[in-house]
Formats: sequence, C-alpha cells, structure tokens
Amino acid sequence: MKDAIKIRILQGDPVIHDVKNASLPKLFRGLPVIEDKPCLTGCTSCAEICPTNAIKLNPVSIDIGLCVFCPLCEEACPEKLIHFTNDYNTASEVREKLIVTNKTKSITPEKASEKIRNYFGRSLKLRQISAGGCNGCELELNALGNVNFDMGRYGIEFVASPRHADGIVITGPITENMSKAVEICFDAVPNPKIIILVGTCAISCGIFKNSTKLQRKFLNENKIDLFIPGCPPHPLTFINGLLDWLDK
Amino acid sequence: MKLIEVQNNQMFKIDDIRFTGKEEFRDTIAELMLNGSRLISLTPVDPDNPKKIFAALTDKNFSVIYLSGCDFNGSALEYESFANDFPQTNYFECELAENYGIMPLNHPWLRPVRKQNVIMGNIPYHFFQLKGEEVHEVAVGPIHAGVIEPGHFRFQCHGELVYNLEINLGYQHRGVEKLFLQLNSDQRIILSESIAGDTALGHAFAHCHAIESLSNIQLSLRAKVIRTVAAEIERVAMHLSGLGGIANDVGFALPSASYGRLRTLAINSLALICGSRFGRGLFVYGGVRYDIDNEIKNSVMENLNTILNDVRQVNDYMFSSVGALSRFEETGIVSKDLAQSIGLVGLAARSSGLEEDVRINFPYSAYRYNPVSMITLSTGDVFARARLRALEIDETLRFIIEQLENLPEGEIKAGSGKTVPGSAVISMIEGWRGEIVHSVFTDSEGKLMNYKIKDPSFNNWYGLSLALRETGISDFPLCNKSFDLSYAGHDL
Repeated sequence: MKDAIKIRILQGDPVIHDVKNASLPKLFRGLPVIEDKPCLTGCTSCAEICPTNAIKLNPVSIDIGLCVFCPLCEEACPEKLIHFTNDYNTASEVREKLIVTNKTKSITPEKASEKIRNYFGRSLKLRQISAGGCNGCELELNALGNVNFDMGRYGIEFVASPRHADGIVITGPITENMSKAVEICFDAVPNPKIIILVGTCAISCGIFKNSTKLQRKFLNENKIDLFIPGCPPHPLTFINGLLDWLDK
Repeated sequence: MKLIEVQNNQMFKIDDIRFTGKEEFRDTIAELMLNGSRLISLTPVDPDNPKKIFAALTDKNFSVIYLSGCDFNGSALEYESFANDFPQTNYFECELAENYGIMPLNHPWLRPVRKQNVIMGNIPYHFFQLKGEEVHEVAVGPIHAGVIEPGHFRFQCHGELVYNLEINLGYQHRGVEKLFLQLNSDQRIILSESIAGDTALGHAFAHCHAIESLSNIQLSLRAKVIRTVAAEIERVAMHLSGLGGIANDVGFALPSASYGRLRTLAINSLALICGSRFGRGLFVYGGVRYDIDNEIKNSVMENLNTILNDVRQVNDYMFSSVGALSRFEETGIVSKDLAQSIGLVGLAARSSGLEEDVRINFPYSAYRYNPVSMITLSTGDVFARARLRALEIDETLRFIIEQLENLPEGEIKAGSGKTVPGSAVISMIEGWRGEIVHSVFTDSEGKLMNYKIKDPSFNNWYGLSLALRETGISDFPLCNKSFDLSYAGHDL
C-alpha cells in the first residue's frame, strides 16, 4: 500500500489540462506556412523534391493530406519561403481545406451539423481499424488514452466492438487484404455513424501511392466526416480536431 | 569447400557468390546450420528472374555472415526442404514458395505467409483442425479488440488449454519491398521509416547502413553517436510501452499508467531532437539531419534522468506484486532448445537464454566503440520477457546518458555517393524487438535490383504460436503482449 502511494506521488499531475493551448517542441513539424512572397523565377525545387508530390507550383501550395511532414521542401527552398510551424491544429472536415497556400494561416474544422452534435456531442465511441497502418498512427491513437492526453474526459473513447461504436477511425492506406474487413466492420456500426481518416496514408496513401496492393473503393463509396493529417498525427491534432468539430 | 564470409554491412560483389547445384547447396547450408549458424536471408538474387537463389547465414560466435547460392540451371524450381531437420528455415521456405513459386520438396507444413487461404499461388489452404468431442475452435481477428494492427488467430482448444495456435497474417501487406525498387533516394528513407512505425529508427538505420555501404559513404563519429542515441531512445520508449501493455493485460492499473507517462517522456525526447515523436526525419544518407546542441541535450538528459529514477521504483513495485508475478511466471514458456531450433531473435531469444544481440555479436556504428552489455534470462516465460525489458531499459539509459555526456565533435553529415553496380550488402541492426536484416542487391547499372527485408517479427511470430501450446487461452493477450510483435513489419 505504502509503495502504491509512493508510485502515485511520483506520478504527479501529468495531465495536459489545457489541450487547446499546449505547446510542442520548436522542431515539431505541424502546419506548414508559405510566405506571401514571389518564388525565384523558374524555381521548382520544392515540388521536385517532395516525396509524395504534395506541392503544386504557381502559386505554391502544399496538400497536407498528401504531405508526410518531412522537412525536405523546407530545406530545398532557396528563399526559405516554406516553414513548418509547431501548430498542431490541422484537422479538417473537408479534403480541400487541407491544401495550404500562402493565404492559409490556420486550419480548424467547421462545426459539425446540429444533428451530429446532438447525437455525438456528449459521448462519442469510436472503433479503430488499422488497414495497412505501420503502427505509428495506432500508437498515437493509443497514446490518447494515457494519463497525459486522457481523451476519455471529453467523452471520446475507443471501443472494442463496432456494435458499440458511433463511427470508425481508419489508419493506413487500406490494403487489398483489409478492404473487405473494413466494409464488414463499418456495416456492423449502427446508424447514424461517422468516418474519420487518421494519418496521411489513410487520407491519400502517402508514400504508398504507387503500391499495387491497395484497394480504396470504400473511401469513394462513403462520405468522410473528418480528416486528421500527419505522419503520424500528434495526439493533440486528433483531440483538438474532434473538440472543434463537435464544438466542445 | 571455401565459403564466402562477410561482415555486417560489408559490401560484396554478386559475382563472388558461389552458385552451386542443388546438392552442394543443400550440403553447405545443412552443415552450417548443424554447426549453429542461423538463416537470415533466403531470396532470389534477381526477383524478376528467380533462377538463382541466395542464402545468408550468421555465425554469432565469429561475427561473420556466410553467403551461399544455388543455381537451378534450367531444372525445376524446387529443392529438398531443410525444415524437417532445421525448423528455423520453415517460414523462410514458405515465403520463397509464396513469392516466387520455388517449391521446398517434402516441406512439413507449407503455409501461406502473406496470402489468405491459398498456397503456391492457387492451392486452397485450410487451417489445421483438431477434431474430437471436447475440442473447440476459436477464431480471432483480423480486427482485434484494441487499437492494434490486424491479423487472424485460429486456436484449437482442448478445454481451456490451447492445443495449437495458427497465426495467419498478411492483412497489412503493402508491397514495401517492390516499392523500394521504384522510389528515389529521398522517398526510400521515408518508406523505410514506415516499414514498421514503432521501429521507424531501427529500419531507417538498417536502410541507411545498406545504402551507405553500397555507395562507400563514411560517417563521422558524431553522426554515429547521434544515430545510436536516437535508436536507443526508441528502445526505451517501446520497452516502456511493452511493460505498460503487460501491466494493463493483468489489470494492474498503476504501473500501466506510470509506464505510459514515462514513455511519453521518452518519445517527447525524440521530438526534441528531430521534431517527430518517432524519430522520423532524423536519418539521412551519410549521417543525421539534426544536431544535438547543449539546450536539447540538457532537456533530453532531464527527461532520461526522470525515467531512470521513476522506472526503477515502478519496476520494483510491479515485480514484487505477488498477483502480477503469479500471472507472469511459467506462462507461455519457450525453452532454450526450442528457441534455438526455431531461430528466435532479439528480446524473445534473450529471454529464453540465447545470446542473440546484433549490437554485441555483429557490432555496428557507435556500438563498435562503446559496447552495451548482453543481458539474458533463462526461463523463457512472460516473466522473463517482461523482466528483460526492465533490465534493458536500465542498461540502455546508462548507455544513452554516457554517450550524450561525451558527444564527440564533428560534422553530422557526410557527402553522398553512387551505389556501386553488381554489388550487394547485408545490413543487420538490433531493433528493439530484435534482429532487423536488409539484404540489398544492385544491378549492372547500380540501381537497386532486389530489396529483401526481414523484421524480427518474421522469426518470432512462430515463437508466440509455440509459447501458447498447453497454455490457457485466457493467457493469450498476455503472451501476445510479452512478445509484442509487428504485423506491418512481417507483412511488408
């Protein structure tokens, strides 16, 4: 008993109380910003080096649904116009908003419809499906349940059975071998239900774009409610994305 | 007969490999395994033209890798299986059969590796089934209860006891090895970090070593030390995560929560060094992208010292709990002999008393100058695998702190080079799970021709399967967590 109390005291108060204003290390690569200055004439360095072709030119834009948050474009730009900030708020309810231009200062999802907020605003139970995820996203989603992030305090939790869930969270590029399981699992979730894509692979295949072993039919046939970009997304990206979306 | 021997990360010419007939190949490999060598790679040299296969075996006592080849020379793509005498080759042979249709004759149990319900391309495969009145079957997965990767487990149970567990994977198969041949160098490093996201640094380490050896790039000592420090922080983080999972699986909330908190400190330290909690973006060919300055060093040291202090007390608490020990001890045993014969690696092998640690047996990078100690336990049960994690955290933290205190001066990045044509390299790294092997071959123009990856999980999943025999089915989650294997790393 004495030992247990000792351990509990060591534990201290590790909870991040204010998840909206927590700060991350300087080097953390979150939302990229593009300075509103003209590029060198004819320069295509950033678009050329981007490993996932996330960058379009004239004017420069970065699709963070494709971006794997490596610092290659930041390093390649001769004018240092691209810079990754440590802003972890990058979730969006529509795919188009993930395209960062020199006008983008921040990305937050619009409030969900009143119907969704009424249904899920107080309690949201999610079933996670890893469909080719490398275990990076999965570990970050698991971290949401630890004593630091403690997502349960907002009524958002992962559950074991799709029957108990209000929606699914997909990680990974959806492999051929998992495509059927994803469909069966989603079918088992009672209506109304939502779909959240977590991580670059789920949103756009990321580095696995050229793989012939993927089957992403499911994503074309269903409406996606929330996109959480990152490789992998920081737990705070997930929490804040959901809190903003549910207006909590 | 003289065999070609190379060292870890030593480039060799493909032409130097002796490709012999089937008979001689068989004798060579069998003799090596009889003398204690272990198979680490079995692959065709050119995947598009699988008429010549290549085998690499390690001898840990002499720190050498033996290379041998077999030329089918126009005859049928089949050979006499080794697996009846040497169970360690079982899964390698299944993989070769599945990928290239090269048939191991008289193989004891040809199973699918990454495909479901089919072997050799189109022959239907059925799970092993036990029949009888008191027998029942339990099927789990591919989607599991927790937030983890997918895989299918088929238990044949006799009452509460598991008679056989068959593990069917492949759900995560993304075609990583093929992608390596298509992508450019910047993309390849990112891909290597995504082979298994929990071992991002381990696989990036192996990949960079392979390419650096093939292009004759020499690293500065500082770059080597930063690499090993980061890789060791990954080990600490994942061992903490494993201990947290083990505590959670026996319903022991306080240690589980504490390990979770300490793991956050470890991965946040990686974020301080390179911006990613998993170390992504740190590795580049020729060194590292980010230097460790004094400010970062001090913050990291502070985190590590907190872990060092707290983890000892949490360990004492958990490993002195009678309730927890009664669940850990004599659960899911893999004996030393069994571990040796099926070729376990890494943490699981060391828990069964085998001295398997690439950092010590085949030292690379900064471990060549600053060794770590080999830690082994003998019981091979859940307790050993949990306790070994606790002991390794201690040793690893000692190593990291020592390295950070004596960080050598120097550049962090060397110049680049071109991969040499017609060459190959075997790059071995001790990831936190165990031995990672990347075997890389270049063609006559110096482009990558074959990229073969072996994650430690490839060896160890079979160990989990055998650990479950005659064990209560309710102990499965605990046994599974004590191995904590990668699905993505296995499925590629």
